[in-house]
Amino acid sequence: MSTKSISWQEKPLLPQAVAGKDWIIGILAFLALMGVTAGVGRLFMGLRASTALSDSTSWGIWIGFDFGLIAFAGAGFTMAAVVHVFHLEQFHRALRPALLVGLLGYMGVLALLVLDLGRPDRFYHFLLYYNLHSPLFEISWCVLLYSTVLMIEVSPDFLRFLPWRWPMRAAQALIVPVSIIGVTLSTLHQSTLGTLYLNMPHRLQALWYTPLLPLLFYVSSIMAGLSLSILAYKAACRLRGAAADRDLSAGLGKGLLWIGIIYLLLKVGELTWANEWALLLDGGYGRLWLLEMAAGVLLPLVLLSRATWRRAQFVQIAAPLLVLGGVLLNRFDATLFAQLFPAGAPVYSPHILEWLSTIGILAAAALAWLLCVRFIVRDEEHAH
Amino acid sequence: MTRQTITLDTLEQGQELSRRSFVKGLGLGAAVAGCALVGDVQTAAANSTATNGAEDEAVGVLIDLTRCSGCHACALACKTANNRPQPDVAPAQLDSGAYSFIDTRTLANGDEAFVKRQCMHCLHPACVSACTVGALRKTAEGPVVYDSEKCIGCRYCQYACPFGVPTYEWDNVLGLIHKCEMCFDRQAGGEQPACVAACPNGALRFGKRGHLLAQAKAQIASTPDRYIDHIYGEHEVGGTSMLYLSDIPFAQLGFPTFGETTVSGNAESMMQLTPALAAAVATVATGLHLIFRRRQQVAEFNLRQSKKANQE
Repeated sequence: MSTKSISWQEKPLLPQAVAGKDWIIGILAFLALMGVTAGVGRLFMGLRASTALSDSTSWGIWIGFDFGLIAFAGAGFTMAAVVHVFHLEQFHRALRPALLVGLLGYMGVLALLVLDLGRPDRFYHFLLYYNLHSPLFEISWCVLLYSTVLMIEVSPDFLRFLPWRWPMRAAQALIVPVSIIGVTLSTLHQSTLGTLYLNMPHRLQALWYTPLLPLLFYVSSIMAGLSLSILAYKAACRLRGAAADRDLSAGLGKGLLWIGIIYLLLKVGELTWANEWALLLDGGYGRLWLLEMAAGVLLPLVLLSRATWRRAQFVQIAAPLLVLGGVLLNRFDATLFAQLFPAGAPVYSPHILEWLSTIGILAAAALAWLLCVRFIVRDEEHAH
Repeated sequence: MTRQTITLDTLEQGQELSRRSFVKGLGLGAAVAGCALVGDVQTAAANSTATNGAEDEAVGVLIDLTRCSGCHACALACKTANNRPQPDVAPAQLDSGAYSFIDTRTLANGDEAFVKRQCMHCLHPACVSACTVGALRKTAEGPVVYDSEKCIGCRYCQYACPFGVPTYEWDNVLGLIHKCEMCFDRQAGGEQPACVAACPNGALRFGKRGHLLAQAKAQIASTPDRYIDHIYGEHEVGGTSMLYLSDIPFAQLGFPTFGETTVSGNAESMMQLTPALAAAVATVATGLHLIFRRRQQVAEFNLRQSKKANQE
């Protein structure tokens, strides 16, 4: 009896959970728990008591992070396209961590959306009532269908625990057609997020409002997707105690460079075409645009511009982080910072519950990702 | 030598195969895209016939700001008709408790001016175009109405509306959107909207939009010193069912300046591309998959062959 209790005490809760850094798990779990409390509290409080939103600012940080997170979760469709459409086998090892980012990202998106809805009890209404003109209607359907796609794409890692082999074989047979459907659904709703803002020419500042918004949102979601795929791959290797392949990250970095150049040309070209260069000198909005483009696009592109730099550990972490920051800022600009408010509108300063629930949802997604990569999702090399 | 020939044959067959399936895929995609486009053209045609001429027959309200005394009778009657709280307190803004209010504005010369605000009942409402679940609807009769049973409270309509009209019930745990419906239910019973019936100065006139426009133009023509030569809502954002006459330029009264195009035009043309875009992406992705998989197979085959050759 005594030996049993001693062995129980000596055994850590999660053996070698995060390469010996259990405190990360602890902090994430604490934040996630706080987020759940805040989120459940909000559902019983209504939006006046739990947010700083008002009729002039009726979308806040929930929507900003939501739309940012959808772009980040683009890691799933980006890597699925790289591996299953373009058959670039050398990137296969980065696929599973990225697909898991995609799935957990969309789970987070759904949680944030439900918190933001005035009638969370009716979240399923888009299945019953149709409006084919509505970007949000299309986005709702695509997110639902694409989450299903991601579950099928991720499923082989979980199906191997089953005593039967046929579910695994079925999932493997489906993987290519399902991936192509996933790429299609992602192209639709990532671009439709830009279309969503086309409905507000009177509210979105001219530097951001352009008929090109759907294309810009699509291209930037690929940038965010490639960036998060690089970081997820490196983190997954570290968690497993395996050496990360520098050439793999450098290769994805090269792809990021080219997509980033396309994005930069589109943004600058749009400014020229719309004859809006003068607006850049026009106070706060101009500076915000320059910050978004310089820190989030230009600087990472410079870092990625040379083959030797792309192989450097610093660049492989800094460049993706800058791109992700830039894409998140872009979504926040469209949702909040570059919105034109009526005169006398109250200034929006997010409520503590908005912060806690957002941070909690992001922490929960990160925690689930860490644990799945450590204990369930296998490294591609060992899987084969 | 023979080995070499086999490889080449496989390569060519493979390319032919992938090319054929790629072309087949393209054809299928084009067919789907074609159907989608035809569908779009048909709906577009249906839309235009539904609005041509019918716009003039649909009802609206002509608001003559030169006759408004700022007595708030319209706003109070609105509250009563819509069962809003505190029906005897004049509202100072649009919110879930007031679908209409008198906006008292101080002009540059110190004078006060009164402007009745409420939903403009656009002919091509952006809120209707944006609503996720189709809870907002432009009726053939004219009013833009709201189905509270469908609404999910996403508040996209608040961003799409160029006049900042829809308001949300922030204090309710399960909040809904609120806006003026031009007393659609009263109209069904043969009555005028409550605000029109309550105005003691005859500043509000209810009728068919075509008639109201003709009357407004006649008024401007007969008393040009009383009005500025602009009917707000005749053309703004593609036209609205609520029309304004004024003696002060509308920009000075806080009316936003808009062109004749609808706010939701860009988004709607993009949304109509959705089926074609889906078909195109799926087709191209399938084609690329077939091509690159074949290349990979051929490369692997060649690698195996050369390894075998080396071993021998």
